[in-house]
Amino acid sequence: METLTHILNGFAVCMEPMNLWYTFLGVLMGTIIGVLPGIGPSAGIALLIPITYGMNPTSALIMLCGIYYGAKYGGSTTAILIRTPGEAASVMTSIDGYEMARKGRAGAALAVSAIGSFIAGTIGVIGLTLFAVPLASMALKFGPAEYFTLMLFAMTAVSTLTGESPAKGVIATIFGLMIATIGIDLQSGQARYTMGIPEFQDGVGFVVVVVGLFAMAEVFRGLEDIYRGTSAEAMKITGKLWLTKEEWQRSIGPIWRGGIIGFVIGVLPGAGGTIASIMSYTTEKRMSKHPEEFGHGAIEGVAGPESANNSDTAGALVPLLTLGVPGGGATAVMLGAFIMYGVQPGPLLFQNRPDLVWGLINSMYVGNIMLVILNLPLIGLFVRLLYIPVGILYPLIVAISVIGAYAINGSTVDLWLILIFGLIGYVFSKLDIPVAPLVLSLVLGGIMEQSFRQAMTISGGELKIFYNSGITVTLLAMSVISVALPFVMPMLRKLGSKGDES
Amino acid sequence: MADRIILTCTLVLAGVYFWATAQIPTLELGDPLGPKAFPRMLGVGLLLGAAMLLAEIIRNSAKAKISAEKGDASTEPKWDKHHWLVVGIAVWTALYIGTFEVLGFIISTALYLLALTVAFNRNRWLMNVLTSVLFAVISYFMFTKLLGVNLPPGILPF
Repeated sequence: METLTHILNGFAVCMEPMNLWYTFLGVLMGTIIGVLPGIGPSAGIALLIPITYGMNPTSALIMLCGIYYGAKYGGSTTAILIRTPGEAASVMTSIDGYEMARKGRAGAALAVSAIGSFIAGTIGVIGLTLFAVPLASMALKFGPAEYFTLMLFAMTAVSTLTGESPAKGVIATIFGLMIATIGIDLQSGQARYTMGIPEFQDGVGFVVVVVGLFAMAEVFRGLEDIYRGTSAEAMKITGKLWLTKEEWQRSIGPIWRGGIIGFVIGVLPGAGGTIASIMSYTTEKRMSKHPEEFGHGAIEGVAGPESANNSDTAGALVPLLTLGVPGGGATAVMLGAFIMYGVQPGPLLFQNRPDLVWGLINSMYVGNIMLVILNLPLIGLFVRLLYIPVGILYPLIVAISVIGAYAINGSTVDLWLILIFGLIGYVFSKLDIPVAPLVLSLVLGGIMEQSFRQAMTISGGELKIFYNSGITVTLLAMSVISVALPFVMPMLRKLGSKGDES
Repeated sequence: MADRIILTCTLVLAGVYFWATAQIPTLELGDPLGPKAFPRMLGVGLLLGAAMLLAEIIRNSAKAKISAEKGDASTEPKWDKHHWLVVGIAVWTALYIGTFEVLGFIISTALYLLALTVAFNRNRWLMNVLTSVLFAVISYFMFTKLLGVNLPPGILPF
């Protein structure tokens, strides 16, 4: 009953004119960031944190969250019209969406992704509303040992599930944790790895790392592509911006299924929007009566994945809000934002700041309505962004990144850091080392070490605290499985196929 | 080949990190673990990652042998002249950062943007000059006067 009051109260918070305005600003910027290649939601959120520093946390978080889910809407536009995903998770949309555009049905493809995104996005927020309270009350029992193992599981899952090579994911994760240890150790007051640079005493800020790895690295890749002459031209919107009855009937099933797949995958750590959309695509292809159309402009191939990657965002917010442990790169950046505003997400937040939590969650219902309006009748405006020459766009992204990084401390050390991390991000992408695990572990590193040491203090230095409770044992087992699985799976498959042959 | 470079770098990083951890002075007061224990675990974790990578390299080279026998082309990334372009952009960006506080935001940003847009958005002089100058001036005043973000004025009086 109390929860219901909190939820209703949350609607009052998110309907305040101020917060409506920030929801609008967030989803508008999200759509723009999604449409523009080169700057994704992670970098967009990170760049805005220093600028929104003085705002009240509820409004700031509503806006940053709007960027996160708004970018998913915008990403599909770029995927359909130039076959490059404007945002990583729309990669599946670019297959059939672009084929539809080539056949003169760009309008239908854009319409189905906007409508699908809206329905699935709303399914996701309903799921978030329903699951948040039970999970948060369960997490109230968590002690430092449980938190440590939970973070360990999130990191192992992310490092082995993103990218091709689990080993590279693990290396990226540890690298992020090592960066997190730079600075003054809060428990002992001892400076660690500062290399004599006074600015490093406060640690390496995650904002500069994210801006470097995501925005600057993308600029290097993008400018290289211009030079190679591989950048693509945008197609014109053709056909009516609406669906025929037949198209609608073919899309509604994939939208529902995609919405549910996306939410479930989103809640789990590691997988994220890209895997959700791939799973939805393969599901639809398997269920379809005409699978041969997939890859040649099947509307189900746009409706399903696009829905899945939108409800995924709401799903990904479940562990972030209820446990305070994000399961991927973009939510890790969100956690960093929460912490910078002095808000610690987790079960206690539901007790202490119900207005903030529910104001934020409910703003997503409103934001989704705004997004469907921005992305359907007004889509023509955003498509114009695709005509900005990339040779101008990328240099401007550097200048914006420089402003954002300098705004944090007014120090050029942060500018050097975005350049260095930009180069690291560029080299990582050439070597297929994923950066999402690095960002996640960088943001969680400090909390992880703290909970490890607290647990050890409680147990008097005995490691057995980590296998004394059912929760920690389960989480440890899941961590071991997620590291071992990529190595064991091929062996099992080999055994299986040998069995078939004999 | 690329994976072997990563492996080497990982081992070097682990070595440097262990060394740097040993340099941290310890004053153990009431904290059973001290500031070194967690970093030591990370060092071990990195070595584990390196071991996983070694396992993958061995597995992949076995696979590569099979595909080489079938006559498949190698997909190894190679150093080509385009990478010099990235080095060039990085050096130009370093110059921008180095002169950022001396010349001030407006001048350094306008110069930085102008060179890059001229190089990558060819033959559109008017557009490039206008974008570079207007972006530098407008964003400077927007951020310093409206949003309260400090940007260096440099040699300009405002």
